[in-house]
Parts: sequence; C-alpha cells; structure tokens
Amino acid sequence: MKKITTLALSLAAISSFGFAKEITIAAVMPVTGPVAAYGQTAYEGVTLANKMRPTLKNGDTIKVVLLDTRGEKVETSNATTRAISQNKAVGIIGELITANTMQVMAIADKSKIPVIAPAATSDKLLDNVKFGSRVCFMDSFQGKAAAEFTAKELGYKTAVIVVDQAQVYSLGLAKTFESEFVKNGGKVLSKLKISSGDKDFKAIVSQIKSKNPDFVYVPTYHPEASLLARQAKQINLNKPMVGSDGVANPTFIELGGDAVNGFIFSDSFDASNPPTELSKKFLDEYEKEKGTRDIAGFTALGADAYFVMVEAMDKCADPSDSVCINDQIHKTKEFSGVSGVISIDEKGNAIRSVVMKEIVGGKPTFKANVNP
Amino acid sequence: MDFSLFLQNMVNGFSLGSMYALIAIGYTMVYGVLRLINFAHGDIMMVGAYVCFFGMVSLNLPFIAAVVFAVTICAALGIITDTIAYKPLRKAPRISLLITAIGISFLLENLFNVIFGSEPKAFIVPEYLQKVLTFGDVTVAMSAVLVPIITLILLAITLFILYRTKYGMAIRALAFDIHTVNLMGIDANLIIAIVFALGSMLAAIGGVFWSLNYPSIEPMMGVLIGLKAFAAAVLGGIGSVGGAVLGGFIIGFTEVVVVSLSPEFSGFKDAFAFIFLILILIFKPTGILGYNFEKSRF
Amino acid sequence: MRVPKITHIIFFALAVGFLVASHYIFDDYSLRVLNNIAIFIILAVSYNLINGVTGQFSLEPNGFVAVGAYVAALILLDADAKNYQFDLESPAAFVLWLHSSNFLLALLAAGVCATILALVLSFPVFRVRGDYLAIVTLGFGFIIKILAINYPSITNGSLGLSSIPQHATLYYTGGIAIISVIMVLNIVYSKFGRAMKAVRDDEDAALAMGVNTFAVKTTAFSTSAFLEGVGGGLWACSFASIVPNEFDFYLTFQLLIIIVLGGLGSMTGAILGTILVIGGGEWLRFLDEPISMFGHTFDAMPGLRMIVFSVILILVMLFAREGIFGKRELTDVARSAIKRLKR
Repeated sequence: MKKITTLALSLAAISSFGFAKEITIAAVMPVTGPVAAYGQTAYEGVTLANKMRPTLKNGDTIKVVLLDTRGEKVETSNATTRAISQNKAVGIIGELITANTMQVMAIADKSKIPVIAPAATSDKLLDNVKFGSRVCFMDSFQGKAAAEFTAKELGYKTAVIVVDQAQVYSLGLAKTFESEFVKNGGKVLSKLKISSGDKDFKAIVSQIKSKNPDFVYVPTYHPEASLLARQAKQINLNKPMVGSDGVANPTFIELGGDAVNGFIFSDSFDASNPPTELSKKFLDEYEKEKGTRDIAGFTALGADAYFVMVEAMDKCADPSDSVCINDQIHKTKEFSGVSGVISIDEKGNAIRSVVMKEIVGGKPTFKANVNP
Repeated sequence: MDFSLFLQNMVNGFSLGSMYALIAIGYTMVYGVLRLINFAHGDIMMVGAYVCFFGMVSLNLPFIAAVVFAVTICAALGIITDTIAYKPLRKAPRISLLITAIGISFLLENLFNVIFGSEPKAFIVPEYLQKVLTFGDVTVAMSAVLVPIITLILLAITLFILYRTKYGMAIRALAFDIHTVNLMGIDANLIIAIVFALGSMLAAIGGVFWSLNYPSIEPMMGVLIGLKAFAAAVLGGIGSVGGAVLGGFIIGFTEVVVVSLSPEFSGFKDAFAFIFLILILIFKPTGILGYNFEKSRF
Repeated sequence: MRVPKITHIIFFALAVGFLVASHYIFDDYSLRVLNNIAIFIILAVSYNLINGVTGQFSLEPNGFVAVGAYVAALILLDADAKNYQFDLESPAAFVLWLHSSNFLLALLAAGVCATILALVLSFPVFRVRGDYLAIVTLGFGFIIKILAINYPSITNGSLGLSSIPQHATLYYTGGIAIISVIMVLNIVYSKFGRAMKAVRDDEDAALAMGVNTFAVKTTAFSTSAFLEGVGGGLWACSFASIVPNEFDFYLTFQLLIIIVLGGLGSMTGAILGTILVIGGGEWLRFLDEPISMFGHTFDAMPGLRMIVFSVILILVMLFAREGIFGKRELTDVARSAIKRLKR
C-alpha cells in the first residue's frame, strides 16, 4: 500500500511538473549605481520570499527575473519594457526611488501590467495610474504619526527638521511632519538641508545646538542619519532625535554605534516581536541564510510586495491574467505579510499601522503603536 | 558668530580641508607627469578605506598595520592601473587615456559593489582616536586633530621627495618634457610608476582619514570627494603640490564656514567647490599657484 | 548649398526607411531601446561638435540637457498640473503662465533656452583653455543640477516634474536625430567647420590667421547647446518624469565615452558609439541572470553586467586608441576600402 501511495504521489509530482507553467515576476531594481544599496536589500527580500513560496496554488512555478536599473531613467525605462515584452512578466516589483517608480508605472500602465512598489512613499505616486500599488505607507501618514507621537506622547514643543533635499522621500515626510507638528501646537525653529551622500554634518549640528530645540526630526536614510547622530554626539548635542523608516536597517546601528542609542523612529513592524505567522517564518528563513534576525525594512517590504502579488495571482483563475491580478491586488484585505497586516485600497495605497521604536542598547525596541 | 563657534569652524574646516588636500596631491602629481585627469583617483581612495577596514576585520591587524597594508595595496593598485590602462596609451590622444581612467573608475566601483554590496559598512575607529577633546565650548574628535597634522607632515615629505631626491628631480623633469627625459637616459615609465604609487599612497591615507572622521564606507564614496579634490587641485593651480594643498584647504573651509554662517545656503554646499573654482579661474586662468602650462611645475 | 552626393541620399533614404519600418518589425522593447538610442544620437552628435570637431574639452552637456528637459516639461504641463505637482513651494507666476500644448514649440523653446545659456556661459568659459575648460564646464553642469534642486518654485526641487505628455515617439526622436546629423554634418563641412577644425588643431595659429576663435568656439558651443536642449526636451517627453538627479555628471561621462569610443570628431563614430554603449549595455543584460555554461548553471551575480561593461570599455580603448572610426567618417572608410579593392 505504502509503495502504491509513493508511486501515486511521485506520478502526481511528475505530472504536475509536466503541466505546470512558469510564470514570471520581474524585479526592476537598482543593483548597481549610486542607490544600489536600496535595490540590493529589497531584492534580497524578493528572492527569499520566492524561495519560501516558489509555486502558486495550481502548481505553476514562479520565476523572478532581476532587471537592473542602475538607479537611472534610461535604464529604468529599458528594463521595464524588457520585463514586459521579452521576459513576459505578468507583474513587476520595483523601483525603489520614487521618480523611477513613476517611470515604471507609466510604462506598465500602457501594457496593463500590475506594479507593486516596495518603497516609494510619495503621496502622489498613484494618482495617475491604474495598475500601480504599494506595500509601504505614504509620507503623509508616517509624517503625521511622527508629529502626533512627538507632540502628544512625548510632549515636545519645538523642533528642528533636518531634511535631505535630494530625496523625494525625505522632502515629503518633512513637509507633512511640519504641518502636522504645527497643528498639534508645536513650533518648527528651523529647517536645515542636507543632500544624500553628505558625510560632514558638523556645521549642521552646531546650527542645531545654537537653536536649542526640544528635539530634532531627521527623516533621512540611515547613512546620513547615523553620521549626523555621531557628529551630534561629538559636540555634546544631547537632544533627542526622531527619524523615519529610512533608518530601519541594521546598518544604521552599526554605523551609528553608541551615538544612536535613544534614537526614536517610525517603522512598519517590530522584528523582535513578529506581528504575523508569515513574518516569524520569514525571519527564521532569513536567520538560516544570513545568521541574523536583524532585517532591513526594505527586505521585508520587498518580500511583502512579492507575497501580495502571489496572493493576488492565486485568487485569479488564470494566474497570468494581469488585469485580474491587478484587481486582486487592489482588493487585498488584511493580508498578514512579513511587515505586518496590509490592506490595499482602490487606488493601490497600503493601509497599515505605524510602529514607533527606540534604539536601546543597540537594539530597536518597541515603543508604541499608531493605527491609521 | 561668537568666538568659540568661530574656533569650532576653524578646526572643522582645517580637518575637512586637509582630507581634500591629501587626495588633491595625487591628482596634481599625475596631471603633472601625464597631463591626465585621473578620474579613478577617487576610487583608489575608496579602495584604501576598504582594504584598511578588511585588514582590521578579516586579518585582525591592529589599526596602524592595517593602514600600512592599505597604503601598500593602493600603491600596487596605482602601479597596476598605470601598467594596464595608461601605459599602452602613452602615444595615444590624451582623451583616450581619460576614457580608460573613467573605465577603471567604473570597474573599481562595480567590482566592489558586486563583491561587498552597496550597503555602507561601519569603519572601525580605534578607541584612542574616538576620544573627544574639549577646549571650553570647542569640541574636537582626536582624529580631527591628528588629520591636519599628519597631512602637513606628509606634505613636507612629498615636497622633500620632489625637491631633495634624485627621483623627485626626475619627476619634475618629466613634467617639463617627457621626450627629453627619455633621451637623458631616465626610465620615464619607472618615474611615472613612482608618481602613481606616491599619489595612490596619499589617496589611501586620505581614504583612511576620511573613514576615521566619517566612519561609513561604500563603493561610491570616492566619486564626489574625488571630483571636489580635483576641483581643489585646479583651484590651487594644477601641477603644483603646494597649490593642491592650498586648494584643498580653501574648499574645506568654504564648505564649513558658509554653511554655518548662513544655513539657508546649506543646499548649495556641494556646489561651493565649483563656484569658487570658476570665480578664481575667471580672474586667474591657471589657478592660484599655477604657472603657465608650458613653464615649470611643482 | 552643395548638391548632395548620391551616397548621402542613399544613407538618408535608408535611415528614413528604417525609421518607418521599425514600427512594424520590432517589439516594444526594441522600440524603446531605439528611442533611447535616437535621443543619445542627438546628444552625442551635438556634443561631438564642440568636443570633437572644435576640440574644446567641455564637460557640461548634462546641464544643457537638464535645461532643455525642464523648459519643455514646464511648457507642456498646464497650470493645473503645475499647481497640483508643486509641493515644496507654490509655482512662480511665470512658471504658471508658461504653457503651450504644442510639442514642437516646446522643443524649440528648449533648444533656444539652452542656446541662450550657452551664449552667456561662453564668456567665462572660454577665458580658459584645455583641461581648465573641462573642470569649469564640469562645474557649470554640476551647478545647474544644484540650482534645479534649490529653486523649488521653478523646478519643484528634487520632486521633479511628472506626468509630462509622452509625445516623443520614435518618429519624432528618430526624425530629429536624422535632421541633427545632417545639420551637424553640414556645419562640419562648411567654411565654419573648417574654422572649427583649425581651432582644434592649433588655436594660436588659427588666431594668427585671422580666425575669430572666440566667435568660432561660441558658435560651436551654442549650436551644440541648441541640439542638446532639443534632446533634453525629447528626453522629458520620452520619460514620464524628470528629476534633477538624472542630469548628473554621469550623463556627461556617458556621452564622453560614446564620442571617444566611436572616434572623436567623427559623426559616424558618434552614432556607432551610441549604439554600442546604449544598445550594447542592454545586450549585456543576460549577465545579470543565472548563466549556464559547460552544463553548469552559475548563480546570478547582480551587477556583473556593469563589471563586464567597464572591462570592455577599457579593452576597446586600448585596442582602438583613437576610437573606432578615428577622425574619419563611414564614407571615408568606404572610399579607402574601395580604393584598396581597385588596386
């Protein structure tokens, strides 16, 4: 009997192998060039997610192809068209930078291919497209959460904002934070500009010191935020710093060392206390592969983009029907992803909660939950 | 601005300027002998920082030994790039050399990107250099004090080599006229190799200093610093070692002082080097200490 | 006007024929790559005019492309779109006033604005020569990008402009590419072109012969700026959005590689260089995927493509020291080949 079952099972395996199709999802991301780090961390998440769930319910295998964009326009447009017309991708995950994501969506919209942006947070990203969606939160929501948390929970009255003027992400957050913070009775003393890639913030930190605010809001990515914190510590500027999910990366703590202890930031989920079954599994897998449970925010979001897309494919009778996939993505309700519970609305925006964390003793620790 | 803030800025500007200066010297020396804008120079600085980092992490070398290791590797790298990419093109148009230089620069950046990833790595700063010195309101990290001092010592050594040794004399002669130097029985290729080694060593030290002050290293770190250092070299008068140092200090100071005087200009920080450069070149088309092209250098 | 040679007419007919046929032969991807190649041909050919033919080592085309792209985008976007997009500061009054939906008018304005900028810049820029010129122009290109970031009431800062009408189909880009190649070739083989080459070969001698070198250089500079501005306009209308960061010096380096690789001063070289760098880079994409070789599949190495690209670049430069075509054109090469055959 046992033999027969084995035989039957293996036959079934062979037949399903024989009939199963291969379906392609394209990861259009920068893995070289000035913003390669973003693409590399997100792609890590996509590939790991693909390893965890390589097939659809009906047995079709999912193949992920990577198309490098080098973080630039010309390559992004080439990569996207190639993904659609050569690789016959039914869905696209990417890009990381807002401007390039717009480019991807503009092209994919014409071919009716769904795009899930893992990290483009600009409020206006999805206004003119039908086939776009995202798994990260919008600037306006995260900025508002940070402003309310600092003004109400922490009782801060005055702030200095350090904004990375070369990042759409940073500009968007700074803008909502400023208006929301003022709405909550706070006062913004000064807005200081830096540019991504800057290393020297000594002039900036002495400016902050002379303004003497209650705290500093730093909605930048981790390379800048960590060096800013370090240099602030060197001149004994002991003001609390509050950041955003741009610093949700283990490298932030490595780069910042002692100086980032006490740094408060908003993030999408708390990895030390995985919010869902999937995120627990994902972290286990991640630990098996990398030997650590410290995971970058982009990795989790990249994985979520993949899972949300596969989930949508499973709901379609024909998993290569990209119009149906897009509809299903936009109908995602309470999906338990790696980075928490995600719902996606008609327009494609993700509705999810913000977690406030503080770095204590070199570990991000949970502080508060802010629901939408 | 009160006095302590002024002092603070002076110290910061001095420290930033000396790092630009160290890298600018390499540009100016290579330019002197080959008339080549070595766009790969900034990336050699990046390699220096990485080698020093991995010397400490993977080989467990103490900091000083890791620096020596990095300097040696970079000197070798400088000679290798010269042999592979520049030497075969000695008789080709200069612009072809420039393209191979850009090629080497892309190659190094992408090689390090694929091998180590683009995520920045935290450079390890030894305890004794992390100490913060406080003079009244002025606070400086130990590394920020050491950097200008060592830069000046290295500058003195470089000038000594150039002016007091036989090789230095050959380097200066080469800058005048490469053909005559060949006729005089000097091996021009050897001298050029020495120049590359020297320039790359200084770049490696510059890279290590840079990482001590801003302990985050990534494959693209050399691009903008390299461009600014090159602007510094031209500002001071390309071909002149003293000019490179002067140019480096000027750019370092402007970046620090202008931002602290008027924070609304902080968005223009990266452009200062070039605005300054253009202004000076309009009034003195060969840079501050630069001589006429056909006349002497160094 | 010289009577065009039969070979020229054949080339022209072939190019137009290819352009018309391409929509029926190729898929979207190839069309997209062709479109990008066409834009880069315009940029490379015009950059070649100042850099290769006139011998002025300038490094600022990224600035002119940026100006062209922004002017075209600002003209084509209507007031509502601007009010909606400008998030950092409200748009300046003249920015709102500036609007026309005429695509060709926008391209023309893009070119004219870049030309005006070039005329203004030529006074400080041509005070210096050689490598000093290179760094000064590199500086200007860099400053234009920084200005675009820092004046959000005009450019919308780093957020850039989006939803730009995508008028630039291959008919436009290819057609303008053909026109600009013809235009530049006509300049090169005119009296003015000879003056430009004289300036390249020996500026002092040209000056002594009574050539107004400043005028020659300025003309070359502004002509090339005009075409770069038009190219920038096409750039904006070909991609959905523009941001300051894409007009970095990297763009200039790319153009420099193209024209030197093809052969500095040769227009066919510039075209071939564009096809090699822009098209070849696409062809190398297979390197980023898992590679099967000798029956063994190697894991994908994301980024390998760029390593191979830089190695090829160095190798080509080492073996073709003066670029692939040198200073010659395709017709010269063909002619000498025919001569050799006859012998």
